[in-house]
Amino acid sequence: MEWVETTAKTLDEAKDLALDRLGVAADEAEFEVLEEPRSGLFGRMRGEARVRVRVMPAAVRHKQERRPRGRSEGKTRDAKAEGKGTRGTKSAGKKKPADRQPRQAGGEASGGSSPEQVSEHDTQHGGGSDKRAERPQRSKQHKESKRMDGQDEHNESPVSPQEVGDAAVAFMGGLATAFGAEATTELDVDDTNLEVRVVGSELGLLVGPAGRTLLAIQDLARVASQRRLGDHDTRLRIDVGGYREKRRQALDQFASAVAKSVIESGSAKALEPMSSADRKTVHDAIVGIDGVDSHSEGDDPTRRVVITPA
Amino acid sequence: MSDAQSAPTAVAVLTHIVKSIVDQPDDVTVDEVVGEGKHRLDVRVGDGDLGRVIGRRGRTAASIRLVTRAAASKDGVQLDIEFLD
Repeated sequence: MEWVETTAKTLDEAKDLALDRLGVAADEAEFEVLEEPRSGLFGRMRGEARVRVRVMPAAVRHKQERRPRGRSEGKTRDAKAEGKGTRGTKSAGKKKPADRQPRQAGGEASGGSSPEQVSEHDTQHGGGSDKRAERPQRSKQHKESKRMDGQDEHNESPVSPQEVGDAAVAFMGGLATAFGAEATTELDVDDTNLEVRVVGSELGLLVGPAGRTLLAIQDLARVASQRRLGDHDTRLRIDVGGYREKRRQALDQFASAVAKSVIESGSAKALEPMSSADRKTVHDAIVGIDGVDSHSEGDDPTRRVVITPA
Repeated sequence: MSDAQSAPTAVAVLTHIVKSIVDQPDDVTVDEVVGEGKHRLDVRVGDGDLGRVIGRRGRTAASIRLVTRAAASKDGVQLDIEFLD
C-alpha cells in the first residue's frame, strides 16, 4: 500500500526513481530489493532492477529493531502476535483443526508442502503495518479449508500407517510406470511418518522445474492414500531421485550467498517465490548465519522469503 | 479413448492418477480430443467423485493438470485437461 515499487536498469536508478516518487530523502526511506538486474553475456544487463521503497515509519522501524533474531527466539514474537489477536502462533498445532493434530506429532523438520507447514512460516512475518492487513484474510482462508477438510475426511475409520504407505507406494509405482520410467519404490514407516522414495533413472520429469511437479505428485499421493482411506494420522513425504537432499544443499548455498550480499549492501533482499518447504530450508539456513534475519511475505503461490540485515 | 493416441504417456498418467484417487475407478474414462493446435483430454468420473478430483479450491485438479502436462512433454504435445461429470 504505502510501498512504491519501481523498476530501472540499475538498482541505484530504481531507488532514485522511487525516492522521487515518494519525495523523501534516502535516509527516511526503507528499501527492499525485489530483483537485481542480471548480467547477461558480455557484461550486458538483462532484466531490470526492481526495488520497493516506503517512507520509514518510526513505529515500524522500532518494531523491527526489537524483532528477535532467528527462529530459536520465536517465542517472544508469538506472544506479541497473540497479544494482538491477529493470528495464530508458532506452534502450527494450535491453529490446526483438532482432527488433524496428530499429524503434527512427528514434529518433522523439513516436510513437504502441507498447509500446516505454511502456517509455521507465517510467524516469520515481520512487524510491518502493511502486513497486518493481510492477516485476517489469510486466517479466513484457513477457516475455509478447515471446513472443507471436515467434509472431505470425516469418516473415522482407523487405518494403519502401513496401509496408507502401501497405497502411496502403489500410486507412485504406477505413476512411474505410466511415465515410462524404470524405477523402484521404497517405503519407510517410522511411527506415523511415511516416506516413499522413488529411485531409478530419467526421473527428471517427475521432479520438474524447482521441484514443482514433485510437489504436485506429493499432493496427489496424499489424496490417493491418506484422503482416500480417511486417514488423519500420518505424515507422508515423497522423494524422487534423491531430489530433496540435493535441493536442500543447493538452497543452503544460495541462502548463504544472498546473506553475504545483504550483509555487504546493508539492504534487504526478497527472493523468488518458493514453496513452503523451500522457504523453510532458507529460513533454517539463515538462522545459522550471523548478521541477517529472514521472514516470509505475501501469499502463496507468490509467498517469498525476505532476507534482512539483522 | 480414441484409437489414434498422440499423447500416450499423458493419457496413461492421467488415467492412473484419477483412478487412484476416486472411489469408483471403473467409472473413470479419459478421452483424447484432437483439435487444431492444442489437444484436450476429457476426464469423466462416477457420481460423487468429481469433488475429490477437483479438491479443495481446485488444488487437486491443478496438481493433476501440472503432472499430466509434464507427462505430455514426453509426448511432445501441449494439452488442456477438462474434468466433467
